[in-house]
Amino acid sequence: MKILVCIKQVPDMESKFKVAADSRWYDTADLAWRMNEYDEFAVEQAVLVKEQVGDADITVLSIGPDKVKETIKKALAMGCDRGVHIADDEVSSREPFQIAGMIAEYARDKNFDLILTGMQSQDRGSGQVGILVAELLDLPGVSTVVAFSLADGRLELRRELEGGVKARVATGLPAVVTCQLGLNNPRYPTLPNIMKAKKKELITVGVADVLKVEARQQTAKLYFPEKKGGGLILEGEPAEVADRLITILKEKTAVLA
Amino acid sequence: MADMILKGGEYLIADVACESVFTPEDFSDEQKQFAETTEQFVMNEIVPKMEEIDQQNFELVVEGMKKCGDLGLLMMDTPEEYGGLDLDKASSMLVAEKISYGGSFSVAFSAHTGIGTLPLVYYGTPEQKEKYLGRIISGEWCAAYCLTEPGSGSDALGAQATAVLSEDGGHYVLNGTKQFITNGGFAQIFTIFAKVDKQHFTAFLVERDFPGLVVGAEEKKMGIKGSSTTQIILDNCKVPEENVLGEIGKGHKIAFNVLNVGRFKLGAAVTGASKMALVTGIKYANERVQFKKKISSFGAIGEKIADLTAAIFASESLVYRLAGLLDEKLATIDKDIDNYYVEYLKGIEEYASECGISKVFCSEVLAQTVDEVVQIFGGYGFVSDYPAERYYRDERINRIFEGTNEINRLLIPGMILRKAMKGELPLQAEAMKAFESLMTPSFEELDESIPFVAEKVLLKNLKTLFLILAGTGVQKFMDKIADEQEILMAAADIAIQIFALESAVLRAEKALPRFSERKQGLVRAAVKVFAFSASETAGSAARKGAFYIEEGDTLTMILAGVRRFTKYDATGLLAAKRLLAEAACEEERYLFG
Ligand SMILES: Cc1cc2nc3c(=O)[nH]c(=O)nc-3n(C[C@H](O)[C@H](O)[C@H](O)COP(=O)(O)OP(=O)(O)OC[C@H]3O[C@@H](n4cnc5c(N)ncnc54)[C@H](O)[C@@H]3O)c2cc1C
Repeated sequence: MKILVCIKQVPDMESKFKVAADSRWYDTADLAWRMNEYDEFAVEQAVLVKEQVGDADITVLSIGPDKVKETIKKALAMGCDRGVHIADDEVSSREPFQIAGMIAEYARDKNFDLILTGMQSQDRGSGQVGILVAELLDLPGVSTVVAFSLADGRLELRRELEGGVKARVATGLPAVVTCQLGLNNPRYPTLPNIMKAKKKELITVGVADVLKVEARQQTAKLYFPEKKGGGLILEGEPAEVADRLITILKEKTAVLA
Repeated sequence: MADMILKGGEYLIADVACESVFTPEDFSDEQKQFAETTEQFVMNEIVPKMEEIDQQNFELVVEGMKKCGDLGLLMMDTPEEYGGLDLDKASSMLVAEKISYGGSFSVAFSAHTGIGTLPLVYYGTPEQKEKYLGRIISGEWCAAYCLTEPGSGSDALGAQATAVLSEDGGHYVLNGTKQFITNGGFAQIFTIFAKVDKQHFTAFLVERDFPGLVVGAEEKKMGIKGSSTTQIILDNCKVPEENVLGEIGKGHKIAFNVLNVGRFKLGAAVTGASKMALVTGIKYANERVQFKKKISSFGAIGEKIADLTAAIFASESLVYRLAGLLDEKLATIDKDIDNYYVEYLKGIEEYASECGISKVFCSEVLAQTVDEVVQIFGGYGFVSDYPAERYYRDERINRIFEGTNEINRLLIPGMILRKAMKGELPLQAEAMKAFESLMTPSFEELDESIPFVAEKVLLKNLKTLFLILAGTGVQKFMDKIADEQEILMAAADIAIQIFALESAVLRAEKALPRFSERKQGLVRAAVKVFAFSASETAGSAARKGAFYIEEGDTLTMILAGVRRFTKYDATGLLAAKRLLAEAACEEERYLFG
């Protein structure tokens, strides 16, 4: 069984973000980087599948500058078999369709039975890449998956919908699945596995070899939401509070005018 | 290449290039992953249970140790042929640093992986390693180390415990009491020191179930309450003859060599604890409002945050520089030779003085940190509902165990002087030169094109000052200098500040080209803040030392030298502190790691 896991390197979400000088993305200087949390679920799921079926080969792919290799290595230490680094220093200016296009282009002739991605990235949060990959490869795509089981070459999945509602979905393989929080508990790479991962194959692919689609959207401007003024909490007896509220609305606003 | 490596103590007379030092910016991807695995494990599995652990629920500790075993955290320093990973020291320091977030748990971890495991690794026979190492590195068995006795702590070789060979020669019978044994409550394997025939100091591997090993009650402690500390009473304890560790009568070597390793690792662990405490303090300072302002916006609080940030930067720089020195040295030893560990321990002993510096300097930075963090918390720092109080209590032990800071301060110049006596360091000749420089005026102009030139000149001057004082001290007291502890303490303080400041400066210089402009500004500020403090501390120690050693005209001359050689132009110090404080408060983290 051939599995592809697509992962993204994102900044530590506790960082203090600044808008970059060109106002199109955040300033990447001095940030600490890690694996996108949802992608950890994807990697873990791939490794669980491999543990279940035994005979499986997991490729982990990441697009970005050289430093994304660090994150690929973590996935290798978690149990992936080989790494593919699509070297792209401009990754932060690519829109989801281009990212999906690169992944699809890479995967097209490789006969993956299962492609796993995170449900979304913690920084851009478009939630589109996984399903666009499915579309571009003409495969069934199931998003926001919180339960996963594989039997007789078919997937039984549970999706998380709005308002706590879940949906059960079944599909054959090959398929694309995007992973949501709650799917599994990603393992910590053990020290011996981190050392073993050093010996695993990690190939680099040039961006020009896989980027064949044009951007369909552009980021016009990135900015922080405007700060709203602080709220006002009125405390006391309900009737008295209601009176005060009316006074405030009369004096400070136009709603009761 | 091998002879290019800086020798132990050589930093006091050599000019060191920044390319030659290892720094946290040099960690490999694998090392960063070790750190990440350790940190996630501690934050997710240990920190949430900290309170229960501190109420001495040792099951949680033992369970945590098993999980450490599963993750491979207990096999870093053990040989590959017994299932270990035999990693470099920088890696195991990094793990020690991250484990430290686990408070009391980290004491169990450190004792197990350090003093508990290493005697067996360094001195065990293949049979002994085969028998015990697997269980130790998997966490199935916890390990402990029994050197201290009620009557002998610092004077460890003054132990009274005895070992007598049975008539049939099959086993030794051990008697005595061991004091303050970490992990005593649940360890399954103990390295115990006793004197064979009341004179030959020897180590033994003793299983918990051997008849006659009695575990005493838990001590009630000021801090690290969730670590187990008990007496181990040997009441005619029968130990098979094949469990003698190393040679009869050579136990002191085991004891001291293991302590060297323990000291530099303690430096790493307390550096981690300092970072944790600092970040807690910063976050609180950003939340707490008085006079309608965040207290972090007050200069008095900001200055603390800046000073601590700079001191921790030095602490961290020092620890990993030392790790790099040890790793370089150890890498020159062929792993296949029979006496590998003999050579290995010689390699570590080369840096015994620096190991002592790591222990003293870094534990005192932690002491300063937890004290100021309690202060930042104000009254809330004094009550147990907030973490500052626990940091404050937990810190205290670090200046006591692994050799008290006094014992280590004696050892710092002691080891250097010993090397000089043996002709391994040309200290006398350098001291003569230094003394002469007292009589020649200097017209140094700073070449501003050299990065950190003011700090480098200060370092050169502090080295001269150290040599002047050590030189006059030795000249005056000759081989009786060991009895002049007050002078040795002062000399130690100067050496400590030199090594710490040099480590900080070299790291900063090496990192500059890799940092963004903003971060360059921050690291320059940290160096300035620490350099100022180091020049003051070293100056005060030197003045004290001068009064202790000399009088009359020579004293006057040396005091003039102290003034000249501790001069440091810290123009912009206030701006540097404000820059550091502002950045640390904005980012709510330790800025350099
Ligand atoms: C929580 C805890 C855990 C411990 N874990 C272990 C363990 O696992 N295994 C183990 O073997 N030991 C352990 N110890 C023991 C520890 O290493 C000793 O407490 C320490 O070495 C100091 O010895 P002491 O307590 O007898 O103090 P002392 O040696 O009596 O020292 C008292 C004071 O005198 C000073 N002093 C002593 N001698 C000199 C000298 N020559 N010159 C100048 N000053 C001197 C000391 O610096 C100190 O300030 C532990 C201790 C504690 C509290």
